[in-house]
Amino acid sequence: MDPALAADSGQSSRPERSAASPSGELTAREARPILIVDDDRSILETMSDLLHGEGYQVMTAADGQEALEAISRAPVSFVLLDMRMPRMDGWQFAKTARERGHRVPIIVMTAANDARRWAKEINADAYIAKPFDVETLLSLVKRFSERGRAN
Amino acid sequence: MSALELIQLASNIVFVALAAITIVAALRRPTRGNIDVALLFGSLGIVVLETRVQTALADVSPLWTISVSLLVMALPYFLLRLVNDFGHVAPRVRRAAEIGLLLSAVAIVLGGTPSPAPITLGLVAYFVVFATYAGVAFIPIARRTHGVTRRRMVAISFGSLVLGSALLVVAMPILIPDTAALSAALVQVLALVAALAWFVGFATPVALRRLWQEPELRAFLVRAAGLARLPDDSDVIEALQQGAGMTAGVTAAIGLWDQSHQVMRWVRDGEAIERGPGEFFAWPAFESGRTIFSADLSRERPQVAAAARDSRVEAAIAAPIKIESRRIGALVLYSERAPMFADDDIALAQLLAEQCAVVLESRRLAVEAAAARANELTARLKEDFMSAAAHDLKTPLTTLVAQAQTLERRMRSGKPADRAGVERIAREAKRLQHLVEEMLEASRIEQGALQLQRELVDVREIAAEVVARHPEAGRIRVEASGPASGLYDRLRLERLVENLVENAVKYSPPDAPIDVRLLRDGTELLLSVSDRGIGIARTDQERIFQRFERGGNVDDRSYPGTGLGLYICRGIAEGHGGRIWVESEIGTGSTFHVALPATEGAMN
Repeated sequence: MDPALAADSGQSSRPERSAASPSGELTAREARPILIVDDDRSILETMSDLLHGEGYQVMTAADGQEALEAISRAPVSFVLLDMRMPRMDGWQFAKTARERGHRVPIIVMTAANDARRWAKEINADAYIAKPFDVETLLSLVKRFSERGRAN
Repeated sequence: MSALELIQLASNIVFVALAAITIVAALRRPTRGNIDVALLFGSLGIVVLETRVQTALADVSPLWTISVSLLVMALPYFLLRLVNDFGHVAPRVRRAAEIGLLLSAVAIVLGGTPSPAPITLGLVAYFVVFATYAGVAFIPIARRTHGVTRRRMVAISFGSLVLGSALLVVAMPILIPDTAALSAALVQVLALVAALAWFVGFATPVALRRLWQEPELRAFLVRAAGLARLPDDSDVIEALQQGAGMTAGVTAAIGLWDQSHQVMRWVRDGEAIERGPGEFFAWPAFESGRTIFSADLSRERPQVAAAARDSRVEAAIAAPIKIESRRIGALVLYSERAPMFADDDIALAQLLAEQCAVVLESRRLAVEAAAARANELTARLKEDFMSAAAHDLKTPLTTLVAQAQTLERRMRSGKPADRAGVERIAREAKRLQHLVEEMLEASRIEQGALQLQRELVDVREIAAEVVARHPEAGRIRVEASGPASGLYDRLRLERLVENLVENAVKYSPPDAPIDVRLLRDGTELLLSVSDRGIGIARTDQERIFQRFERGGNVDDRSYPGTGLGLYICRGIAEGHGGRIWVESEIGTGSTFHVALPATEGAMN
């Protein structure tokens, strides 16, 4: 059992009709971008490069404030959200986003031991603990992008 | 019966009652104070009774009249004796009173009755002078004292002054004709007022004492509830002493028993005093657990006689302070004058001692609880540190793992490794190394194992290099005046400057300028880093230099950190024989100062 991957079980295991290829090539044109929020520049760059390489559209934000601005400019597929950030942290971002009526799925990603608890606190859809395996991240991302398109 | 006669009868009854009460009290407890009170009121009672007998029997012998007059003239003398019991009468004044009494007696016996006017005037003058002296002498005493004692002194002063005026009224018919009846009535009333005031002052009824003590006692009890929270033990003791003293209207002292050294510890006028078993008045009370009283310390307690004389203490009550059977210390109420105490003061002392015990015990429990909380806090800080450290280590690890795996994937699918990815791996590996070093450094400092590699370095250069390397170098200004070379550990000073600059950047708004200043001041090299950031509360300014500690206004979510940076800075500064401190105000910014001793190498 992989502790890094959780939540979201049972739900949305419905297979996608236009089944995506593992590399996700067909997603790029139509799909909304994935928003990655993290105050660590290296993590942001690494994840952004990785997901780009897999054919996803990616947007980045360095804190909750920037993330809010991003989701209010254009709809995103889902948010990969770091919790501890300066200016506006993950909790505040999630709270404000929900208050403003954004129903965007959120995946919490944190290096803290409390990943599961924090994800619950902000009513997130999934969580992933740092440092993560690229495979784990990719399967999570894939699942959420398919879900996004299904909706 | 006329109104005048009624007044006379009433006042006569009161006088006789007062005489009876005070005489009985003196017989039951023949202390000097009680005897003097009985002398004054007894003679007043006899004078009144004799006068009544005189008026009843139309014809009285001159001897009878003379004896009454003598007793009347003795009143100022008895009054003065009492004044001396309570306050202090100069020996000269006492002698003058004795001589005056003798002269009056001679004048009365030789002058016959009724005395010729000049003699009567002389007698009145003598009486008025001493009664007024007694009244005036009590005013400064009343001012000095407080609570019950002050009220007693005021009553005595008032009574004596009223008596003086009563005597002036006696002389009235001599000076103004046809006022004999008026004068007689007025004298009765004034004498009654004076006697009641004295009675209240000299032999305060228990109910009245209680009534006067109650507000002070209530105030003491109310205050006592909050005393256990005072920051300092000696503050608690001082407040208890003051409160107990106010309530009893005398001076109070509290001794705390030191079990391990077998001494009682007192504080007098801010000075700590230790006394071994048997070396202090309260010892028997402490030892037996019972309240003790002495009206004449210098005679009754030879072992403390000298100390009592030195501190001019005549009477004292000591009550043990104990919780159940555990003895904590003793409460002593003492007075320069014996008659300040009454029987119910012993019960009061017990009550006060019990209150002290409650306060001191809750104080002890509060201190114990605080210590337990502090332990808990340390444990929690360590735990916080562990999770913060893990978090800090995992952040670069996240990039390392993800980036390495990404490269692996690219290579598997035949793409070349991207340059940016490789650079990120190198950068994060470096960062990880730095973090691990920082943790090791903190642990070395904690164990006192920091070994400096001193070499001749220019601190200006170090500061400039550190700033130039910083990604936000644009907003950091470096200013140096004078030479700044010396024998220091280059890497440690780099780390010191780095940490301070890093903090300044971290805790201030983007683009707010940061100033690094270097100054040679006498034998010291001063380095300061100023920011315009969130600032540090005064209460946190010492604490932040401790391991794992961070400012109270630092939200861990917004400003992640281990709480090691400043601890390391302090370790490095002190390792060089220097100091580090901070000047800061919440919301305005902080300036961290480092003073390093200038070394031989700095002379160039």
